[in-house]
Amino acid sequence: MPQIRFDQVTKSYGNTQVLPPFDLTLHNGEFTVLVGPSGCGKSTTLRMLAGLEVLSGGEIWFDDRPISRVEPKDRDIAMVFQDYALYPHMNIAKNMSFALKLKRTPKKEINQKVEQVATMLGIEHLLSRKPGELSGGQRQRVAMGRALVRDASTFLFDEPLSNLDAKLRNKMRTELAEMRNLLDKNMVYVTHDQVEAMTLGDRIVVMADGLIQQQGTPEELFKTPNNKFVAGFIGSPNMNFLEATLIEEADNLYAKGKGFCLQLSAQHRATLTSRIAQQDADITVGIRPSSFYLDNLPESANTPSEISLYVVVSEYLGAQSVLLTRCEDQNLEIEMESASPVQNNQTLNFSVLPEDIMIFDNDTGNRL
Amino acid sequence: MGFFSQKPAHNNQTEKQNPAFYALVFVLIIMALGPIVLMLSTSLRLNVDIMNDSASWLIMPTLRNYETVLCNALWYTPEHVDYCNPTFGRALGNSLIVSLISTIITLIVGCMAAYALVRFRFMGRGVVSMSTLMMRMVPPAVLLVPVFGIWTFQYGLDGSYSGIILVYVAMNLPFVIWILQSFIVQVPIQLEEAAKMDGANALQTFFLVVLPVIKPGLAAASIFTFRIAWNEFLLANALLDRNTRTVPVTIVNSITEHDIDWGVIMATGMLLAVPPIIFTFIASKQIITGMTAGAVKG
Repeated sequence: MPQIRFDQVTKSYGNTQVLPPFDLTLHNGEFTVLVGPSGCGKSTTLRMLAGLEVLSGGEIWFDDRPISRVEPKDRDIAMVFQDYALYPHMNIAKNMSFALKLKRTPKKEINQKVEQVATMLGIEHLLSRKPGELSGGQRQRVAMGRALVRDASTFLFDEPLSNLDAKLRNKMRTELAEMRNLLDKNMVYVTHDQVEAMTLGDRIVVMADGLIQQQGTPEELFKTPNNKFVAGFIGSPNMNFLEATLIEEADNLYAKGKGFCLQLSAQHRATLTSRIAQQDADITVGIRPSSFYLDNLPESANTPSEISLYVVVSEYLGAQSVLLTRCEDQNLEIEMESASPVQNNQTLNFSVLPEDIMIFDNDTGNRL
Repeated sequence: MGFFSQKPAHNNQTEKQNPAFYALVFVLIIMALGPIVLMLSTSLRLNVDIMNDSASWLIMPTLRNYETVLCNALWYTPEHVDYCNPTFGRALGNSLIVSLISTIITLIVGCMAAYALVRFRFMGRGVVSMSTLMMRMVPPAVLLVPVFGIWTFQYGLDGSYSGIILVYVAMNLPFVIWILQSFIVQVPIQLEEAAKMDGANALQTFFLVVLPVIKPGLAAASIFTFRIAWNEFLLANALLDRNTRTVPVTIVNSITEHDIDWGVIMATGMLLAVPPIIFTFIASKQIITGMTAGAVKG
């Protein structure tokens, strides 16, 4: 398996630069997920890697081999397309064996491989059917089978689950996760769904507006996001952002906004106190929906701040509830364990711990 | 109440339309089938009966005319034939050769040209695409004189199969390109990308993936091309000699100042209709809806 390295790769269509020069290294044998909202350039990046788009500049390296001018078939890459792209005139077995046939693999070997992969994916009974006779989930499986049969060193997935309904998507996601553990291959996966990214990826690359915002393990992205975009994109429900001003009172640093005043940690105080002196105290506070405590505050908690929130909508999901609450004119989402549904239209006092609070710069969006 | 009262009124309306509607359909059927019935009935009569003004519709059908036409293709020699004229058998063979070969060449060249016009970006693409259709607007009669001149005096192609096939290919190509373009546009680009990823080169992608998918388009185009080549008279009459004449030309030429053998002419006409019917029947089986069903998420 080669290590894939993007070196100052750029892409422009005409005069519009969609991807400014960027570097990216995909480590050997890792499942890398490119995630971002639509139009962020993640699919373009994948297609450049596949050889379906021409680079406007820079180079992609497989180990020491430059491949930007190599034909797709010589890159040892298999790809699963978003809308399956099965050959409608061939049956499933022929769809899956098309690549092997082009490589003039012996017939016996082809049959053996197709059968093996079909059994693995649970589609062995469909081999003689045409794609038109299959359901969406089955087609998706065939599309994956077609890639797997090839035994390439690198697999590319272009939003493979986005056309399936929610239930099937979850099922296929877990199957993909299982497949990932089974195969020791480079895998690059493009999705706009952060849940897929978090559950599947060894490493996640978050992109927005053609720029790589941050890359790292799911845990790193969740716990230490670089900026407001990553913090808001990763995690479900989304992080709450509140406008606030820094103030210093009695040796403690507070973020004070409309209807709340939260005490910040000593660490924040060390880095942020100087901003008050520079008249640059306006910041954005970020708090995860799961970081609000009603009455189950951990024993070790010190200096929690209270915030009163008015419950507008309470969504009872069973073990948890998601509350849409209002603090003056700002909306917050709260995720909490709940034995029974929480009543709407009441004001509750929540506690927030200083270490759960993230502070972002208003102008750059960077985490401070 | 309003609902119920409206229903019978609606029924009345359709019943009132019925007689006129059926009358119209009947007239159309007569117009469409009349000549064919006339041709069939004439072809089944003896010349005596055809020329006899008092002949009724009740006749003893005879296959003599067909025997005369096909005399050199039959395994026995019909009694009534004094001299077996090989013209029709030869003409039928000529028609088949010219129509089939010109159809095949037109399809091969047409599908490649259409693919290039749809998928490749090159200078003058729009102009080429448009001018192919413009060529279609030139009536064949206009081409007749220059083509005859050039074919005969410049290249000596008159009277040869290649000469007439060349003209038919040129005549049908614009339309075939135009039809196939609309089919190729519908082939999802992802299919070609998938083939590319599977290791197919450009030709393999075209022949193994694109062509099978546009099979309905090829069938439609082939029916069209075959029928034009099969029925064409004007250019065939001008360019072909007695050995290479196609059936339409032969029929007209069999009308001489000495004799018009209507029975034989009509029998030839009936036989002329058979190959295109068979061809259309076979080709139309390929025209199925939903050619890309299951290829990509619709």
